[in-house]
Amino acid sequence: MLVDFQLLIEDLQRLRSPEEFTQYWDKVQEELSLVGSEYSKLKFKYERSNKEKNILSSLLTRTSADLKKVSDNLKVRAEELSTILSTIPAYVYFKDVKLNYILVNQSFAELVGVPAEKIQGKSLKDILPNYKSNGYIETEQKVIDSGTAVYDIEEELEFMGRFLWVNTNLAPIRSTAGQIIGLIGISWDITERKHYESELKYAKELAEAGTMAKNEFIASISHEFRTPMNGILGLAEILRNTSLDGNQSDLLKGIVSSAENLLVLVNDLLDFSAIEAGKMELDFHPFMLERVLEDVFQMLNLKAREKSLDFSVNISDDVPTHLVGDSQRLRQIIINLVNNAVKFTDHGGIAIQIGLLNRTIDHALLRFEVKDTGIGIPPEALNSLFRVFSRIRQKQHKLISGTGLGLSICKKLTDLLGGEIGVESVHGKGSTFWFNLPFELSSPRIQDPNKTEEFFDGLYTGKKVLVAEDNLINQKIVSFQLKRMGFDVKLVDNGQSALEEFTAGTFDLIILDIQMPVMDGYQVAKSIRNLEKSISSHVPIIALTANAMKGDRESYLDAGMDGYVSKPFNTETLQKAIKLASEVAFLYYKA
Amino acid sequence: MQVKTFSTNSVKGFQQSWDQNTENGLHPNAAIIFSSVELDLAEIISFLGPKGVRVFGSSSCGEFLYDDEGKTISEGGLVCSMLELKPGTFDLKLFNGKGLTSFELGKSAGAWAAKTYKEPAILVVASGLTIDGEQLVRGIQDTAGREITMYGGLAGDDAHFKETFVFTEAFSESNGAVLLVLDKSAYDVQGIATSGWVSIGADKIITSAEGNVVYTIDNQPALDVYKNYLNVNDEDLPEIGVEYPLLIRKNDPDFILRAVLNVDREKKALIFAGTVPNGAVVTFSSSPGFEIVEYTRKKVDEFYEYNSGTDLLILFSCMARHNALGPTISEEMEEAWMKWKKPLMGFFTYGEIGNNYRSSCDFYNQTFTLVSLKER
Repeated sequence: MLVDFQLLIEDLQRLRSPEEFTQYWDKVQEELSLVGSEYSKLKFKYERSNKEKNILSSLLTRTSADLKKVSDNLKVRAEELSTILSTIPAYVYFKDVKLNYILVNQSFAELVGVPAEKIQGKSLKDILPNYKSNGYIETEQKVIDSGTAVYDIEEELEFMGRFLWVNTNLAPIRSTAGQIIGLIGISWDITERKHYESELKYAKELAEAGTMAKNEFIASISHEFRTPMNGILGLAEILRNTSLDGNQSDLLKGIVSSAENLLVLVNDLLDFSAIEAGKMELDFHPFMLERVLEDVFQMLNLKAREKSLDFSVNISDDVPTHLVGDSQRLRQIIINLVNNAVKFTDHGGIAIQIGLLNRTIDHALLRFEVKDTGIGIPPEALNSLFRVFSRIRQKQHKLISGTGLGLSICKKLTDLLGGEIGVESVHGKGSTFWFNLPFELSSPRIQDPNKTEEFFDGLYTGKKVLVAEDNLINQKIVSFQLKRMGFDVKLVDNGQSALEEFTAGTFDLIILDIQMPVMDGYQVAKSIRNLEKSISSHVPIIALTANAMKGDRESYLDAGMDGYVSKPFNTETLQKAIKLASEVAFLYYKA
Repeated sequence: MQVKTFSTNSVKGFQQSWDQNTENGLHPNAAIIFSSVELDLAEIISFLGPKGVRVFGSSSCGEFLYDDEGKTISEGGLVCSMLELKPGTFDLKLFNGKGLTSFELGKSAGAWAAKTYKEPAILVVASGLTIDGEQLVRGIQDTAGREITMYGGLAGDDAHFKETFVFTEAFSESNGAVLLVLDKSAYDVQGIATSGWVSIGADKIITSAEGNVVYTIDNQPALDVYKNYLNVNDEDLPEIGVEYPLLIRKNDPDFILRAVLNVDREKKALIFAGTVPNGAVVTFSSSPGFEIVEYTRKKVDEFYEYNSGTDLLILFSCMARHNALGPTISEEMEEAWMKWKKPLMGFFTYGEIGNNYRSSCDFYNQTFTLVSLKER
């Protein structure tokens, strides 16, 4: 029974007046209203739950269907992944944070020779007890600890007597919350690649050895050439200073001219091999453009006149004269082009034209043109003109001398100097070879080092020089040149004697040939410098060498020498070298 | 700020209560009225028009009032606050939405509010079936500033979903908005908006939508998706859709709820109370049951902790809450009444607008949006 009527009757019986009854009745009404309100809430909740039950169960059913669809998709994805894992030509494994295998692909199982299901839960040590980690396990641990992938781990492994190289990438695996839960390793067999790599390395070494041999060959050839050339030119110089009749004088000119031509060939060969070997050193310094062109003009005007050709140099007014660049190489390019022009021109003339292409506050781009009225170049030859050993054959010029390296060297030099070179030609009418080169602008106050030193006979009168040179002809030449300068010359023919002379006497200058019997120039220089330590002096030493390759300079300086002269040389060159070496020695001594 | 509240279920009753209160010495210059569409709004307007009282009014989907004289939750009735506000501290305007997008309407309303006071607080009601609440809010923020204080709701029509109204002492409009703008230097206006709805089921993608009209979900017609998933008949929508709104994922765990307000049966499209962007990731959502009341109580208590003084509480409560909670919805209101013991009036809405503690204003569905007005 919901209401206790007995209790209600007892309550009513206790009431004494109508007022008490009204009060009691109001209370009952209030409670009934509360009950009614609670009842309506409960009824709503019940009905609501029923209604919602249908909708929610429908939502649930649909969501289950959705999830099944998602799960089916995942299954398909998993199958796809499994197919990829089994067919990918790589060894793939997944590990947990303790570095135990969770999953490996078939290739991996076959590689280690353990069935995939037996690898699960094991560590690398468990499945390959003989494997020497070499830091690999530590790397895996690092990936787990740092959460950073590590790529391109290469190592050589041995499995069942088979050696192979593998390249492995390791990457951490994270949960959706971002926590690291393991790693994936993918290894590729790179044995074949390694094989090719080693073959390639061997081939490269061979090629390098070949190049080195070539360079050494050229260096020694140049030595072999330069020593006799020095003899020829030096003796010719001595001969010129004797009394000769007209005929003899002409013959001597012929000798000098031929020897100089030969020297050009040797120099071309040397330059070319230096450029090829990347050993060409550029020497940027302030210079005056006019000076370079004066040299060129003096050098080649005679040749032009011999062929009755006009030869002119024209520099536009706006071309700056004080430049910074490698004047030696610039001279070389112009000489090469003018020499060619002279060779291929029989009538008319040759003109050098220099103009300004562009100028900024501190830079200028200049255009140099060498125009001739010669045979011109057939169009089909234009493209290959600047290639190595390219030579133009013409009926009337079958015997044109040259190495075929000249234009190729010009091209390489302009490239090195940051410029460009080209040619325009009308076959039968003449050619214009041009090149553009950038220069820095220099202040006119900077002294031009190209300015030829004025030569003074007897400049070093009273000074003592020790010369060590084994070649008799060269002894004569050096001795002649030094005596002209006023030196008192002491000659020896090997290093040992030089050292003995040095200890016995006092000298203002020492000139050492590098390649000498008994003791070479380097050894002598080193010994002298050692001896000097106790007496605190520093006599200038100049190396006399036929080697003119890059790197030689460093060797001389390392041995304690102050300068060098490359054979063949003339009196001016030698005097310049002596002056420079004395300055270096002075600075060295001061330091 | 003098406040006198009353509720009634007829226009006649309204007129009597109004006159009685003025006879008792109250001189209202403003009124807030939430009324059923069953009552003749024109009659109410013509009654108040000559009295020089500014009216902030909206039709409702059920209205309620808790005050010293009793607790009323009704349908087909009216609740009213008669207010004596300091002259020059408030203004009111109706904005007609014809020929304007909701955003454009919002822009001109926001510009007016910003021009009226240096620091305005806005109460807004907008017609429920014609205005996109989200665009309205964005429009107002566009001209009045993103940090504007604003509370309000979308008008209802007792769940007929045919025509809703907002009104002033002069006009009523079925496509527009009424703004009551208060000078913040004179009033403290604060509030909360809390929902409690939870996501149900797998993620879905909105594959075709324009503004607040959704054509397809996961490439299926939106109407079919709702009917299939909720297992309901055609005629159950849009009403049932109000209770099972789409939950649009923003930046997890943030989300926003969008309730169905109308159906375009020809295009099998659903019209929501606010924008549902193309490509949005959504799920269905539902109230988690009657424990939602506990959740609201907790939020009300937290609000009271930092805002314990008030002259009047206005509640914009989503009609979907009323549907889902039935008579137990009174427990939410009871909590607010018991805390402040100051008049609490409001109506069941088709959408709510409000700021949460220290955050900018948004447009919501399914929320309990409570705002407190206090004269400084």
